[in-house]
Amino acid sequence: MTHTLHRRGTDESLKNDYVLLVTAASGINHVGSLDKLRKVLEVIWEVGPANVGSQHLGTILQGYSLEEIKAALNEVPRIRCAFSSKEKVREIIRRLKELDLGISVTVEGPTTDIVEMSNEMEIKPHSVNLSLDIWGKKEDLPSEEILEFVTMCGHGLVSQYLVKEVTEDVKNGKKTPEKAAVEIGIPCVCGIYNPDRAIELLQKYVPQK
Amino acid sequence: MLVDQEKCIGCGVCVPYCPAAAISVVDEKASIDQEACLECGNCFRNDVVPCPTEAFYEKPGIYEEPRGIRRFFSDPTTTHSVTKVPGRGTEEVKTNDVTGRICRGEIGVAVELGRPCLGTSMTEFEKMTTALAAIGVVFEEANPLTQLLIDKKKGIIDPKYKNEKLVSAIVEFSAPIERLTKIMETIKEAAKSLDTVFSLDLICCFEADGTLPVLPVLQNMGIKPRVNSKVNLGLGRPYKIIRQPQEV
Repeated sequence: MTHTLHRRGTDESLKNDYVLLVTAASGINHVGSLDKLRKVLEVIWEVGPANVGSQHLGTILQGYSLEEIKAALNEVPRIRCAFSSKEKVREIIRRLKELDLGISVTVEGPTTDIVEMSNEMEIKPHSVNLSLDIWGKKEDLPSEEILEFVTMCGHGLVSQYLVKEVTEDVKNGKKTPEKAAVEIGIPCVCGIYNPDRAIELLQKYVPQK
Repeated sequence: MLVDQEKCIGCGVCVPYCPAAAISVVDEKASIDQEACLECGNCFRNDVVPCPTEAFYEKPGIYEEPRGIRRFFSDPTTTHSVTKVPGRGTEEVKTNDVTGRICRGEIGVAVELGRPCLGTSMTEFEKMTTALAAIGVVFEEANPLTQLLIDKKKGIIDPKYKNEKLVSAIVEFSAPIERLTKIMETIKEAAKSLDTVFSLDLICCFEADGTLPVLPVLQNMGIKPRVNSKVNLGLGRPYKIIRQPQEV
């Protein structure tokens, strides 16, 4: 339910990190939605996502093509993708409003920016899912720096141990931040992990010589 | 998951991929601690873990109860028989403009136990459900976790699942907005006894003027929502935001 919501990080780090979700509602409007969502995938591709995927197949980071991801959508289709710029999100919202497909569109990112963009396009947002943070035995968690990477996969499939190992490889000059960012994100099968943000984080935490 | 000992060459490439740290290399062979394994499927996906011999395989009977719940709750590529959607909960705010699951005057709450990183046992889950049931919370029927409760009014889980561990599981429910303070106080108290963490969500509809009525209530409680959230733009149809009296 909640998996795109709890991305950790500073306001600065999150300001260009967006997740777009386009979802048919099972039992209400999913019949006939498959072609609509394939069209949406084409539009997303034109705008330029940082990542796209389908949990029934995998993501572009794993090497799947847009055509393969389109083909893998099932009878209750859902699109998950990440964007690395507010301008691209503004453009995709504009184009989805124009398409007027009647399928639910949800955007994860800085709340004020999403509401502001919606207002600009005379869209009245319906509802919001607020993150009220992490509670409980927080002393057992890894560092905030590690959490910034692992929480970009909401299903918990990006392991903290992989992040530590790959970060160490970058530190030791065995991998570039670009290669490391993809390697960390491959276990995220939905496509909401943002490799562009991961590169920025690696450059921040492992300064290059 | 299991490792084919004949195929494994003990390279250890798989080890860091396991979010539960359940894989280790002993005597030049990878092995999986079955108690720690959450059945998330990471190691089994050849397009994720670059195992040179494709040595991982699914344990026979992995989709059968009770261990099967590890698979369904931990691996997002599986689809629950209850919700008909992948994932660990409902589509919540993602289709809320169409389902009207949470309308104006209501809140939706999700307590995702085990997230991030630590995972959860079903025993921890029951600590939260019993606390919330005691104040009269009615759990979301379409959430697969609700289906594991043997007594929904008391929040008691079927004992056969108690030893199972998951990447995460979501306690999900809706309530009138007037109950927000009591619910948050109950969750805060239950958090003290937990041996894991949880991520907390709150869903609310925008009023006609664009305001969110939960914000002043949260402020009074000293709870500040994080800067990022998930906003349903309201482009879905049929559109629903007002609950009709006969539906209550």
